[in-house]
Amino acid sequence: MRNKRFNFSFSLLPFCSGIVAILLVSYIGLIAVVMSYAALTVEFSQSVRNDESKVATLESEYLASVARTANTNYATAGYAKPLTKLFVRVQSATALR
Amino acid sequence: MRAQFRSRIRLILSLIVCAAFFILLRLYFIQVVQGHEYVQKADRQFASGGNGVFDRGSIYVVRKDGALISAAALSTGFLVAINPQTLTDPEAAYAAIAVVASSTLLSHDAFLAVTTKKNQVYIEVAHRLTDEDGRALAARAISGVHVLHENWRYYPGGSLAAQSIGIVSYGSGDVLAGQTGLEAKYDGTLSRSGDLLYKNFFAELFSNVGNLLVNAKDAREGNIETTIEPEIQTRLENDLAKVNERYSSKESGGIIMDPSTGAIVALASYPFYNENDLQNVDPTLFGNPLVEHVYEFGSIMKPITMTSALDAGVITPETTYTDTGCITVDTKSICNWDSKARGVIPMQQIIVQSLNVGASWIATRLGQDTFREYFTRLFGQKTGIDLPNEGHALLGNLSKPQQVGYDTAAFGQGIAITPIQMIRALGAIANGGMMVQPHLVSAVRLDSGIVRKLDWSKKTPVFSATAARETTQMMTALVDQKLEGGKAMIPTMSVAAKTGTAQLIDGHGGYFSDHFFHSFVGFFPSYNPRFIILLYTNDPQHVEYASETLDTTFLGLVHFLIDYYQIPPDRGFATTTPA
Repeated sequence: MRNKRFNFSFSLLPFCSGIVAILLVSYIGLIAVVMSYAALTVEFSQSVRNDESKVATLESEYLASVARTANTNYATAGYAKPLTKLFVRVQSATALR
Repeated sequence: MRAQFRSRIRLILSLIVCAAFFILLRLYFIQVVQGHEYVQKADRQFASGGNGVFDRGSIYVVRKDGALISAAALSTGFLVAINPQTLTDPEAAYAAIAVVASSTLLSHDAFLAVTTKKNQVYIEVAHRLTDEDGRALAARAISGVHVLHENWRYYPGGSLAAQSIGIVSYGSGDVLAGQTGLEAKYDGTLSRSGDLLYKNFFAELFSNVGNLLVNAKDAREGNIETTIEPEIQTRLENDLAKVNERYSSKESGGIIMDPSTGAIVALASYPFYNENDLQNVDPTLFGNPLVEHVYEFGSIMKPITMTSALDAGVITPETTYTDTGCITVDTKSICNWDSKARGVIPMQQIIVQSLNVGASWIATRLGQDTFREYFTRLFGQKTGIDLPNEGHALLGNLSKPQQVGYDTAAFGQGIAITPIQMIRALGAIANGGMMVQPHLVSAVRLDSGIVRKLDWSKKTPVFSATAARETTQMMTALVDQKLEGGKAMIPTMSVAAKTGTAQLIDGHGGYFSDHFFHSFVGFFPSYNPRFIILLYTNDPQHVEYASETLDTTFLGLVHFLIDYYQIPPDRGFATTTPA
């Protein structure tokens, strides 16, 4: 019976060099991905902030119009107070107190 | 087999060599061919990163339909910085910057002075450029001039609820942080840490893997949602400004609160300040008198004295006493506002006619220990409102044996209370005897997307529902019969109210005879109130009684709120009245 022996030999140096090279390229690639991610995140974040800023400007206009309305003197705008006020009778007897 | 393996290894290695060569080639282009451009870009990023782009959560006011409106937000634009080492033509640079940033740019001389600091690489010279102006300046690519993104705090309402919203500033440190109001109270939620985007992924992976999976900041950072209703807040501020200007008061304030929950829908103190322009603001205005200052409120204390006595069982609404107009207690004279005697009258008249002698009589009936017990329960602790620097009530007279201290406290003199404590105590009459927790923030909207409702449901029982209702009836009678001679009565809506006029202390242990503090409290509908309103004006000129200064404002607010919220009638007189 022939003694079958696994006759596989390889040099350790090229193998390790290959592994190191693969790791190096992967590392550089991952750094590139992370930096790109960070740059895009900053960009998107600033974009959101810019949009929020525009909304805040619109909200400012809305609040200014509310203040203007509250501050309007209707008498000088030509409106007069009603001579009488009619109060509507409450419909539900249970609500009477 | 071996040959095949070798060929595969060679193939892989050749691919790696190609990739490495490609990277080397790319590095050559980046570092050598386009090196100058990237150096400049890196310089800008270094400067920007070192400074940190300001970020902060928003504060929202909530309209009655649930729409969120920003009361504090971020505005975005650009700042201009120079690098004196690379700036070649300072005059030309100044002229170019001045075109787009004349208002915030350093003066010409100051600008030229900083350009001589050749040991520095980054000096900010102008701020808050608009997007268009910033991009226009950046497009000119002036050597040594950098245009960088900048965010800053912006308050869309300007002066709207300024004392409640608060301000952001550097304070004593070098970090922008909330200094007053909600900005300070919720600084932990609103502030943002700036290391999120630039952190080292690998360092985080090996040292802090937990944070990569579950970010702790997501559970802390967010925006806050207040109970303030912008239209009511605007209306209250407008009304207070009018009162203050008309009577030349030192200050005026007001709170509108839901007495059943403690949610404050409006809280304002005049004078106001514009939060977007703080340069010339008197620093004393940054505080909030409604929670920090104490006042002697005068006769709006009488309903509290009355309810305490009814709750203690020492009187009933039918109890009578003999009103002599003036009494002497511990050698001090206590008189009604008009010094007139009323004879034998029931308890309701103490509220309706605002009788000091009657309030003193009730205090005597209560006894010092019981009186102190009630008032300490009502005013002895802070309300816990979510605003900083809440003040303490001054109840020193109630720890002395002299009866006059208790008698005067019964009608709101000699003890000083914060407005927020006062409305909480009066709210206990409105809501059937429970003290609620006044609050301004209803929810935190976390950046993770979760809306966390804040729990303000803790209530402290202080009066029986019966005692509260009996006092409410007296206060309602005041509006229906007495206020504006009965013309203030709303036929379809019961309104309970009480005026208060207190003499101001003169600083020498006594009181002025011609300087007053006016207050006004009311709630409606009387027996199931939606709102309680507290108003005051400090030292109004040429007017003596609160019924003259604040009743129009109060009634105007009542009608506004009824219309705005379409509050249904609670009583049934169908009638026509003069407007």
